[in-house]
Amino acid sequence: MWRYFLKRFLLMFPTLIGVAALIFFLMRVVPGDIVELRFAGESSAASKENLAQERSRFGLDRPLWKQFAEWMWGLARLDFGKSMWTGASITDEIKLRFALSLQLAVMATIVAVLLAIPLGVISAIKQDTWVDYVVRIFSIAGIATPSFWLGILLILGLLIVFKWLPPMVYTPFWVNPWQNLAQLIWPALAVGYRYSAVATRMTRSAMLEVLREDYIRTARAKGLVENLILSRHALKNAMLPVLTVICLEFAFLMGGLVVTEQVFNLNGLGLLFVQSVAHRDYTLTQALVLLVAAVFIVVNFLMDLMYAWLDPRIHYR
Amino acid sequence: MAINVPVEIATTEAVPREPRARWLSAVVGFTRRRTLGAVGAGVVVLMLLVAALAPVIAPYDPVTVDFGAMLAAPNAKHWLGTDAFGRDVLSRLIYGSRTALLVGFGSALLGATVGAILGVGSAYFGGRIDLYLQRLMDVFLAFPLIILALAIVAILGNNLQNLIMAITIPMIPRCALVIRSSALAIREMPYVDAARAAGFKHGRIILRHMLPNVMAPYLIMLTAFLGQAILLEASLSFLGLGVQEPTAAWGLMLRGAAVEFAETAPWMAVFPGLAISLAVFAFNLFGDSLRDALDPKLRTL
Repeated sequence: MWRYFLKRFLLMFPTLIGVAALIFFLMRVVPGDIVELRFAGESSAASKENLAQERSRFGLDRPLWKQFAEWMWGLARLDFGKSMWTGASITDEIKLRFALSLQLAVMATIVAVLLAIPLGVISAIKQDTWVDYVVRIFSIAGIATPSFWLGILLILGLLIVFKWLPPMVYTPFWVNPWQNLAQLIWPALAVGYRYSAVATRMTRSAMLEVLREDYIRTARAKGLVENLILSRHALKNAMLPVLTVICLEFAFLMGGLVVTEQVFNLNGLGLLFVQSVAHRDYTLTQALVLLVAAVFIVVNFLMDLMYAWLDPRIHYR
Repeated sequence: MAINVPVEIATTEAVPREPRARWLSAVVGFTRRRTLGAVGAGVVVLMLLVAALAPVIAPYDPVTVDFGAMLAAPNAKHWLGTDAFGRDVLSRLIYGSRTALLVGFGSALLGATVGAILGVGSAYFGGRIDLYLQRLMDVFLAFPLIILALAIVAILGNNLQNLIMAITIPMIPRCALVIRSSALAIREMPYVDAARAAGFKHGRIILRHMLPNVMAPYLIMLTAFLGQAILLEASLSFLGLGVQEPTAAWGLMLRGAAVEFAETAPWMAVFPGLAISLAVFAFNLFGDSLRDALDPKLRTL
């Protein structure tokens, strides 16, 4: 098994390098670069020499493979370089935003799990009763409701009922946990509800499948208490697909919260990404894409480890 | 068009009769067995009607600015109130359904179709082509839908065609993945071997022999995409990267003033969101029932 894990671990690197190469060349295929965009704002047509001078300042005039090699060498030393647009170090630009997005994603996941698993289980046990219908409609509604609209409604509700607005300026958790939670709990609720919908449906269908298994009948036949059957025999075996869904959604949440961030005035990774693409800020875009892809790949890796731990039936070679 | 889709499939189990009677019995059957799905389909048909008849139904012009009636609360003249420019919210909602359905159907049809062709082609040719195509798809799949769509709009610039493109492209690999797994099984069928033995060209085998047999997952993906595309269009327009003012679009109506004046004029924020939710809800209900009816095993979408 250890050999499998090692192999699986090492396999992450070619994938990452592949993503890095792809985004590097894609960015350069797209028409327009940062220099053109900068000078586009100026009324007088910028002279060719000026453009060329700017390009060489960014090293954009050198052969592609040289630029790529240099970038990779920086990455190997964990140096993302400087943002072409602002000139600031990318690590500094990303640090706080990454913390914010990560925290929000974790909180939304907690909300989703707390909603999805109980609801999914109840819905499966009471299949085709009104409880089941209510849960199913609740979860389909979750998928249908845009989280930014839910966010607007949440803010509106807080304003009207409590005459209170959540803080609009981000405070890191380690500075003031209370202030931080007071701001982030609302977007986490809005996103978590939507995110729970998929997980609820998955829990329900996985439970329904497991409850029809022979070992459940055996457990019932030997007179085991129903609660114990559900928690120990059924839920445990139904968890694998649910975990998969939750992990995959978590990976997507890291960058995919752009719209919710906008509603709650949060300066997360999503917004930064959109700006960096619009500016053709190659270095920043590359770093962000690599970061999001890395989270996705690492989550997938951890998921595989978890499978092996949770399901002894899975054999590895 | 939304309603005759399940019909043709559902009839495969019904007794073949006159074409018209088969049609009707299938609709009745679907309605009886999948009541929720039929409700969804009903709402979809209603939306199509509203969009088609928008100029007749809408009480006001959706873009005419009336500074005499700014931020008016819902009243007898303006049933759902007016926005910060005095434009009638109800009329804008009615015209907004056109944008939503145009972008929704446009990108879902395009995305599912291109995805299906790529998926079937990938499964049919196998080997190197399959491997490279799948790796390429994997890279696209590693990005959240919205991030990819945003990046495409940011690169191409935003007009309606680019918006549809931006929503279509992230959907293609998702559809190709599902269709490919169904097509892999079909490739092993004797009739595909027979077609190859008969010397038919690849294109003909893919289009005439394989594509028709992945219709079930195709339709399922298509209906699933419809709701997602409407949601995505609303999100992009909300961010200001989708449909531009003064065109009526639901996501756009939630932008800017709707949030600013949310406390004093909540109707501006509430109704467009309700419209989005209802539309996506209807498509999902319909799509879910369709999936249950066509392929009960396919549950992970």
